[in-house]
Amino acid sequence: MSQTDVLSGGSHLSALSIISTIAAKEFKDNLRNRWLWMMTAILLLLSLSVSFMGSAISGSLTMFEPAQTLSGLVTLSVFILPLGAILLSYDSFVGEKESGTLLLLLTYPLARWHLLCGKFLGHGCVMAIACILGFGVTGLMLVLLGDAKVQLSIVSGFTHLILSSILLSLIFILLGYWVSLCVREKAKALGMLLILWFVLVLIYDLVLLTLLVAIADILNRELFNIVILLNPTDLFRALNLIANPADTLVAKSSLTLIAQTGFGLPLMYCLFAGWIIALLFCCHWVFKQQEI
Amino acid sequence: MNNQAVTHSANKVITHSDIAVKAINVVKSYNQFKALQDVSFDVLKGQVIALIGHNGAGKSTLLKLILGLIAPTSGQIFVQGHNVGAMNAQQRLSLGYLPENVSFYDNMTALELLQYFAKLKGIAPAKANTLLAEFGLEAAKNQRLNTFSKGMRQRLGLAQAILANPQILLLDEPTVGLDPLASAFLYQKIAQLKAQGCAIIISTHELGLVQDQMERALILGQGRMLAAGSLASLRAATELPSHIFLHSLSQAQRQEVLSEPILSACVNTSSQQGLKLTIAPSQKAAVLYHLLQKMKLVDFSVEPPSLQDVFHHYMESIMDSVCDAPAPILSPTAFQATSMTSDLKRESMT
Repeated sequence: MSQTDVLSGGSHLSALSIISTIAAKEFKDNLRNRWLWMMTAILLLLSLSVSFMGSAISGSLTMFEPAQTLSGLVTLSVFILPLGAILLSYDSFVGEKESGTLLLLLTYPLARWHLLCGKFLGHGCVMAIACILGFGVTGLMLVLLGDAKVQLSIVSGFTHLILSSILLSLIFILLGYWVSLCVREKAKALGMLLILWFVLVLIYDLVLLTLLVAIADILNRELFNIVILLNPTDLFRALNLIANPADTLVAKSSLTLIAQTGFGLPLMYCLFAGWIIALLFCCHWVFKQQEI
Repeated sequence: MNNQAVTHSANKVITHSDIAVKAINVVKSYNQFKALQDVSFDVLKGQVIALIGHNGAGKSTLLKLILGLIAPTSGQIFVQGHNVGAMNAQQRLSLGYLPENVSFYDNMTALELLQYFAKLKGIAPAKANTLLAEFGLEAAKNQRLNTFSKGMRQRLGLAQAILANPQILLLDEPTVGLDPLASAFLYQKIAQLKAQGCAIIISTHELGLVQDQMERALILGQGRMLAAGSLASLRAATELPSHIFLHSLSQAQRQEVLSEPILSACVNTSSQQGLKLTIAPSQKAAVLYHLLQKMKLVDFSVEPPSLQDVFHHYMESIMDSVCDAPAPILSPTAFQATSMTSDLKRESMT
């Protein structure tokens, strides 16, 4: 190899440069196929609709209170964000396996964790930008249009919403990788992830709430906390209900039970981080064991 | 591996530093299924090796083992003297690979793709432009890959494989589905790389194409190395007949051929265009002597057994052994894996 062929700097094959190259490629792919803008538009439309048209449900045409807006956004985001993350990540590995590019990439001087982290960084940035723009613009409009006394609570509420949305998305991106690594067909990966989404977002919660109402005496606080931990969507709900206590219909419902986990916000963020780290390790372990 | 001399042939001393790839008793099993059994071979720098075998013979498994994508169940593989399993990133740059039927990323342009791969290999992205020009893809460099033909994709695939000027190039079915011009272009590039000292292993079913380029063939069957060697040594080992085509024979000459016992016994087909004789290696000298000296014929051509004929011979052996079950697939003495060392000795002797 001639000297001029090699990139400048001695560490031309450093982990950081490889990860950033892969991340940039994944990010550009999602810019090119307009996925990023589509997701941003969905979240923006959702947040604007809830904020400025949500009150129509109650028969009035006034703007929702910030707390009500946030509560509504959490309720709807918990369906959309995991779905978006799944659709972004389901074919990350199985798709490359099918096309033969994964085999090729693994012959390159890069470790499997480079590939995993690069994709995660790229996809994470896509979801983060979609969440920041999708919710941030609405938050900014509410701050500009709202009373001075509620501005701080709007900023705080939307900050927690955006942060937790990004974290929830990252968890579902990793769940997408996990399934994508374990199956041999894209369609199977998507099918399995949709089932997982259905269970975690819809069924799990219903079962949990039913149990809470039915066997409240048996299900003690510690056990309940553990059950919450096992579902990142409940963690998302709980975090936002704690961060934005609202006297609304939704907040008054049995969902308030989820908010009574007894965890503080820092601990809940740590739990999100724990989920992400644990899933990263799981994905790496599965990837490492695989013979392509 | 140390650098001591390992082989003395008639006019060349081969040292370990001449060996690009060395496989020693490699076995690869998937549960009860043995994908490769006791495979040993050497590939020298600057050699083109044809890796041939039926579907499922273990060719792709062998390539993956050389690339370090999978680990052997037992045995060892060395690339440039380094154990494949323990190669670092820099050492892995010595390997270039073109997978079978790779479809790349359809939404990228050719330039973007090569630049992406260049960055992953630590190569300046500017080299992508040079390679695209070299492979005749400059005009299409800003086209999305979903508009590329099969031939263009394969050219691009070969370009990515040689981004880091590898010492060893592994090509899995590089010409499958290509038109003759595209195939010829790829083999022209392969010849250039070979001239630069690159060891090239080509897994292929297109034996007619690879025959003229290769130094040696490794023939795999049911996970075993059935034979290894140059075409000449494989011809000698199989003792397959050659064909002689006698063209433009006069009536008298035709009669003479058919009446001469040594020739008439060899007649395979007779047509208005001429006669086709099939002759065993032991008869070859006598038949040629008769045609040249006695009949004074000059308008004939001799076609020795092709790689295809050799391949068919070994595949038939497998079929025979399967039919004769429970006998072993092949007689170990007949088709034992031949190492480069013994092969060179035999070639030098012949």
